[in-house]
Amino acid sequence: MAEKKVRFVIERQDGPNDKPYIQEFDVDWRPSLNVVAALMEIQKNPVTVDGKRVPPVVWECNCLEKVCGACMMVINGKARQACCALIDELKQPIELKPARTFPVIRDLLIDRTRMFEALKKIQGWIELDGSFESKEAPIQNPYTAQTAYEISHCMTCGCCLEACPNVGPQSDFIGPAPTVQAYLFNLHPLGKFDAPKRLNALMEKGGITSCGNSQNCVEVCPKSIKLTTYLAQLNRDVNIQALKNIFDN
Amino acid sequence: MAKDMTKKKIIIVGGGISGLLATIKVCELGGEVDLFSYCPVKRSHSLCAQGGINACMDTKGEHDSIYEHFDDTVYGGDFLADQIAVKGMVEAAPKLIKMFDRMGVPFTRTAEGTLDLRNFGGQKNKRTCFAGSTTGQQILYALDEQVRRWEVKGAVKKYEFWEFVKIIKNKEGICRGIVAQSMNTMEIKAFKGDTVILATGGPGQVFGRCTASTICNGSAVSAVYQQGAEIANPEFIQIHPTAIPGSDKNRLMSEACRGEGGRVWVWRNNPETGERERWYFLEDMYPAYGNLVPRDVASRAIFKVCEHMKLGIDGEHRVYLDLSHIDGDYLKRKLGGILEMYSEFVGKDPREVPMEIFPSVHYSMGGIWVDRLHNTNIPGLMASGECDYQYHGANRLGANSLLSAAYSGTVSGPEAMKWAKSGNKGSELTDAEMEAARQEVQNEYDKILQMNGAENAHKLHHEMGDLMYKYVAIERDNNGLDAALVELKKLLKRWDNIGITDRGNVANQEAMFVRQLRNMILYAMAIAKSARMRDESRGAHAKIVLENGQRKMDKDGELVFMGRDDERFMKVTIVNYDEKTEEPVVSYRDFDHSLIKPRARNYAVAKKE
Amino acid sequence: MFHTTFYVRRLHSLCGLFVLGMVLFEHIFTNSMAILGPEALNGALEMMELIPKPIFMGLEIGGIAIPLLFHAIYGIYIALQANNNPGRFGYLRNWNFALQRWTAWFLVAFLIWHVGYLRFYIKGVTGTPISWELLYNYFQNPLVVILYVLGMFAAIFHFCNGITTFCMTWGITKGPRSQNVISWISMGLCAVLCLITLTFMGSYIVR
Repeated sequence: MAEKKVRFVIERQDGPNDKPYIQEFDVDWRPSLNVVAALMEIQKNPVTVDGKRVPPVVWECNCLEKVCGACMMVINGKARQACCALIDELKQPIELKPARTFPVIRDLLIDRTRMFEALKKIQGWIELDGSFESKEAPIQNPYTAQTAYEISHCMTCGCCLEACPNVGPQSDFIGPAPTVQAYLFNLHPLGKFDAPKRLNALMEKGGITSCGNSQNCVEVCPKSIKLTTYLAQLNRDVNIQALKNIFDN
Repeated sequence: MAKDMTKKKIIIVGGGISGLLATIKVCELGGEVDLFSYCPVKRSHSLCAQGGINACMDTKGEHDSIYEHFDDTVYGGDFLADQIAVKGMVEAAPKLIKMFDRMGVPFTRTAEGTLDLRNFGGQKNKRTCFAGSTTGQQILYALDEQVRRWEVKGAVKKYEFWEFVKIIKNKEGICRGIVAQSMNTMEIKAFKGDTVILATGGPGQVFGRCTASTICNGSAVSAVYQQGAEIANPEFIQIHPTAIPGSDKNRLMSEACRGEGGRVWVWRNNPETGERERWYFLEDMYPAYGNLVPRDVASRAIFKVCEHMKLGIDGEHRVYLDLSHIDGDYLKRKLGGILEMYSEFVGKDPREVPMEIFPSVHYSMGGIWVDRLHNTNIPGLMASGECDYQYHGANRLGANSLLSAAYSGTVSGPEAMKWAKSGNKGSELTDAEMEAARQEVQNEYDKILQMNGAENAHKLHHEMGDLMYKYVAIERDNNGLDAALVELKKLLKRWDNIGITDRGNVANQEAMFVRQLRNMILYAMAIAKSARMRDESRGAHAKIVLENGQRKMDKDGELVFMGRDDERFMKVTIVNYDEKTEEPVVSYRDFDHSLIKPRARNYAVAKKE
Repeated sequence: MFHTTFYVRRLHSLCGLFVLGMVLFEHIFTNSMAILGPEALNGALEMMELIPKPIFMGLEIGGIAIPLLFHAIYGIYIALQANNNPGRFGYLRNWNFALQRWTAWFLVAFLIWHVGYLRFYIKGVTGTPISWELLYNYFQNPLVVILYVLGMFAAIFHFCNGITTFCMTWGITKGPRSQNVISWISMGLCAVLCLITLTFMGSYIVR
């Protein structure tokens, strides 16, 4: 009896400016096989279903535990992490595509620089006096800390940007993930001091005003971060900040 | 604006916790950093650390003391760690936690808003600060944010998706720069620096399937080893007792599970009554520490129960790690992230049914030899974080790795600046020297692109992993280690016969992997050789006595392990690379153990000081 | 620094909900008089004629024309920034998001026709006052009826979904529960207003 195979239909692309094309691969099924493990099998034997030996598929992955955010790709139409995409839970044949909201470097490998650049725009850090170790840290409300912990899970994978209809070449929206990160720093007892700066940054072009409330982000977030809740909270904060900008000066 | 030529340029390779903290320190001292990483630094392997970070905060009224932490670490490391270095680390720990707290690491708090602490293996007091079950991720992110702030200020230039290939030495043999290759455009370039810090993490991928990320291949460490850097204690590889076995990787199930009350058991027939019962074997074997024995001890016990007593679940290499007796909400709050991971990858809820786990290669105590200021034996080259050998001796305590990563960064950063300002750096690299170094790497790479043999690099890698697990993992003996050395040599030969299918010049991951694989094989040889030479059991290195060429058993049919031999082996293993034979050359070096007198390590009884 | 984008976008939101919402309600209220018969509608229309001409013109320009033009033109700009994807991500809110933009495009075309014909040509150029009889004749063409019903539905949906998003944009509803409640309430309102529309439009046909 022939062994059970899993068919992969992969959209490939040789370089940033090359045309995409489709190749199909078969991988032996095994229990709890996931998409990354299957791509690793293709690396060991990069032969298409037509028997053609081809360069192995290129993609990005690190941790395989759904914490690093590297292996995000479009699997059967949905943006998600490949490492935790179990084959048995997917419709076959399985279609893999790069997340084209981002520039494609090669095959499934994409360039997510824009997300890290956006974190610069929102000033996503705490203005520390310095990394000296001699200062006491402030007491923190445990409930606030829990909220911060939730937001701080964001692994910059880009699922929310891929799903958001307002992110793309047609718009300058920085996307849900970096926007919501601003709230994380506004929650911190020291980060709070610079909250007005971050809120003002969010008022700029491409900031929170570009959110159109499609709420796809919260649906696709692999870390179940309540993105829309924090977006609404930020909307509230930004509006108050706008009033302050007008009336406090 | 004209560039300030008096600014010191430090090259830091690796963007994990150690590399990032070193970066921050350098920037604060007015230096500039070129930061190289395989990936965006925010995706570094540090984020896989789950359970927490040890520091004597004593917020639980247990009268914990820094000395106790010091003693636990030295004792847990089976007296092979430099005690002065460890003392420096544990003393800095509480201050580091406060700094992280200020940086915005969302540590889990108590009702009062102070830092919560949890239990961890090999320690009787609650001493582990944690942010849920993703402490490493949270610390890494906070540091990433601070580095981004320096990046905006212009002090840091990131080279993400760049692979470090080699260091460049000047005429006097002093490290003055590196050669690196872009992983996207494949461009190879030489970079000048006043000091080079390697913070490239562990070599987990040498074992194929492990708890490490795919990027933790030890390739950089092996590269500088081949250029003359000494490796220390590579035989001490920590096997984490609780991981979810997988074909692509073994996923870590944090020690925090046991810290929060998780129990390890298997089914057995009671030897007296014959009744079928749950056997909580760790609690049975080690009454004083129970499930919270250190990792080497727990791993060996699990291995024994499965391999020698054949009591694994369904006869396989699996035991139960049980949390189902603990309140679900409490678990969600304290361990949410990892329990979710288990559900996601296995499809069962650990709050309902016990998890099935088995030990896996996890961490390398050994690495590049460094002094207490993290200088290697090559002037101008430093090492920091898991890629160095400092702090853990023969076995690392859980939650000491985040601490050592962070602490080493706070040491190596300022020291790098000191060297850059006042070290005896010798002559500047000339453009010709830079180009020669670049060209050498280019030639090697071009050769790889031409490889046309029959072997597949990924298959070879898989074989190497199997081989290392078989001979150089939980239980070792000299027969196996001899065999491993022979096999590894064969693998190195077979490497020459690799054929590649990808000859493209965009993100050629296959060619890069071929280069890394050779480095991995050479590092594996250093591990196996050091293990072969160390005729004793100490910490993670457990060696079985051979009698007439066979594994020796005692009268109860139990394997007989070599004892600890302080006389001969309370020394640091030093491995040098022999360029001619490509073989590791092992020697031993004394270290400082003046503060705590060595005593037998026994977790069946409470520790006596 | 003055955040033009932010203020314009917020003005767009306010203007849509309050000003154009009022216009929509006025239209539905006046037109629903048709249900009570020709006299009722004509009475209501004549009532409006009682407002002095300059004030009425002022209201039409300040209360309808300018806000409508602003909302429409800036709205087109907003719609162009979206790459609607309910096919790939078929969640309810994403459908509403796409519908909000599709109804917007339809409304732009519909309102050009509606305002251009009835307000500018009939009322402005020919000088004929709008009356029940005029509309009755106008609605003898089934295509016109269908387009008008669709136009009304589009406007009502756009307005009601606008309430939901308004509450998010202004940070009034933050959590998923409150957002859902508002969403259901506004969709309920949408259904009621559509029903009223069907009734008064039907009153021209079924007599």
